[in-house]
Amino acid sequence: MNNIVSIDKVAKVFRVGDEDFTALHEISLDIEPGAFMSFVGPSGSGKTTLLNLIGGLDQPTSGSVFFKNVKLGELNRTALAEYRRKNLGFIFQTYNLLPVYSVYENILFPLLLDGNKESAVRRSVLDMVDSVGLSDQIKKRPSQLSGGQCQRVAIARALVKKPELILADEPTANLDAENSFQILELMRELNKQFKAAFIFSTHDEKVTKYVNREVGLEDGRVCWDKRRNGSGSFE
Amino acid sequence: MIRWVLQGILRDKNRSLFPFLVVTAGVALVVFTFGFMEGIFMGMIDSTANLDTGHLRLVNKPFYDEEHLNPMDRALTGQNETRNWLIANSDPKIKWAPRIRWGAIADVPDENGETRSQTPIIGMALDLLSPDSRELERLDLKNSLLDGRLPEAAKEILLGYELARTLDVELEQTITLLGQTFDGGLATDNYTVVGFVRFGVFAMDKKMALIDLADAQDSFYMEDTVTDWLGFLPSHVAYKDYKNFKVALQSRLSDLILHPPKDWAKDDIPIVMSVLDQRNLDNLVNVFEMIKKIFVGIIVLLMVLVLWNAGLLNGIHRYGELGLLLAMGQTHAKLVWLLGIEAFAIGVLGALAGSLIGGGVVYYLQEVGINMGDAFAQTGMMMNDVMRGRVTAESFLLGAGPGIIASVLGSLFASVALFQRSEANLFRELEAG
Repeated sequence: MNNIVSIDKVAKVFRVGDEDFTALHEISLDIEPGAFMSFVGPSGSGKTTLLNLIGGLDQPTSGSVFFKNVKLGELNRTALAEYRRKNLGFIFQTYNLLPVYSVYENILFPLLLDGNKESAVRRSVLDMVDSVGLSDQIKKRPSQLSGGQCQRVAIARALVKKPELILADEPTANLDAENSFQILELMRELNKQFKAAFIFSTHDEKVTKYVNREVGLEDGRVCWDKRRNGSGSFE
Repeated sequence: MIRWVLQGILRDKNRSLFPFLVVTAGVALVVFTFGFMEGIFMGMIDSTANLDTGHLRLVNKPFYDEEHLNPMDRALTGQNETRNWLIANSDPKIKWAPRIRWGAIADVPDENGETRSQTPIIGMALDLLSPDSRELERLDLKNSLLDGRLPEAAKEILLGYELARTLDVELEQTITLLGQTFDGGLATDNYTVVGFVRFGVFAMDKKMALIDLADAQDSFYMEDTVTDWLGFLPSHVAYKDYKNFKVALQSRLSDLILHPPKDWAKDDIPIVMSVLDQRNLDNLVNVFEMIKKIFVGIIVLLMVLVLWNAGLLNGIHRYGELGLLLAMGQTHAKLVWLLGIEAFAIGVLGALAGSLIGGGVVYYLQEVGINMGDAFAQTGMMMNDVMRGRVTAESFLLGAGPGIIASVLGSLFASVALFQRSEANLFRELEAG
């Protein structure tokens, strides 16, 4: 099977003062295209470190991370930047929208970053704004939006360049229950619509209701790896 | 992407206002200071040229070598032929005027015809009576006249007002000039004092007298003869270009030496000088140029330091944004390039604003000026009483160019931190806001 991400015996050790701290202990995982899954665990369990490694933002101490059979450890800094630009979308807990730009411009930005001209991608941006239900807010700036609306902008920004993989770090942590459900529902719809794989890091139990696969992490080890079966329950 | 960057600059005042103000202030300061310095310096050069040396000067070398003795016998004859040669062989921008430098003793008689007062004077003879002469304008004689009138007829003389006071002479009084003729004899002639002039140069106000060229030729037996041919350039010609005009004319002098006017002596050797070659002005120019360079260097250094700090503050202010760009796949180099573009745009906008402000003030000073007559009254410098700025392309280049460079350099220095920023902690940093 062609996995979109393969993690092969990956370990990550950080130097903290005079001591080594092992954040990940030889983890192996395969993630299929179009997955809608989460890394679940308490703080310090290694969720964000794993997202870092998949996102090409950091390198493992040992083992390898592959994206569609390309070993990320063999890419230089520039190639890793290109890997992220072409293939990944990021969603953050605190949205990280550009405050001086409008909804439309924030969503447009990744396409400009990739060398597109605005006139060539305007339609795509407008469609994406429509997909996240913000057509009537298109000219507003982030400061004029609610938290839920900001996260919708962040989702649209992550998806607009049609990446194959979205990395979402605690995407519902700053939202109330109602907004969290709306956002998760939206991401599940977009996952089906755009076929992009979504990987969440979270300790929010609400996310569990939506994902198709849940990988439990504790002290840098995989404790469980549950997949939803045909009846909708995890096994 | 450029439009994107510009939008960010215009919308985010924290990002752009301070660097913009720094560049604007720096450029305005340089443009103003240079324009003002250039104006004063050019005013000094123009005063010296108009009163004394011309922007270019053709003179007989034997006369120039002993100029302090006023050796009238080494003046150049063949006035009309020389004029025709100069007009034919020099740049049409140059307007040539003949002059005679003379020296004499001025004797003021009492009511009995006996000497009441007497003093040696230096004099300049120039074309004061021809209707098409521009000499009155060059010496600004109408405005310099403190009392009396300008010469309207032959054998009328203007005196420096301090000289008139020394001689205790009154208007319309006759004085006698005792001097040397072209062939070494004693020249005496009577002149009517018609006006007192303030040249704005103390030494000239104390010793200088002006008479018409034809009168001098008559009094000193110098028919068809002048001591100097002064060439005047339009005011827009920069002093740095004087040398080019001089060299161009010098290259033609061999023709004049080979085919001189028929009345020239065999050992007459015409030489050409620019105003900068005389009165030690060349050294002054070098000092002036050095001051300009030091001044620009200091301003640029200060701007770079301030903008460097502004860039660092900007980096802190936009830490999250820059981290986001790195996470989204922007390379470090491209990010620095983007910041460079931003800094360039801010530099250009600041340079435009600074040029407008600095240039506006200099233009005002150029058109209106500041009257410093009282302050300069007792100095020996050949300077106009009215200090004027001078709008020049160079002052804008020296202001705007370094302003833009400082903006980009400051930003690039501040961007060094970007290259040291690791992507490994971006998630944590971005989550921290």
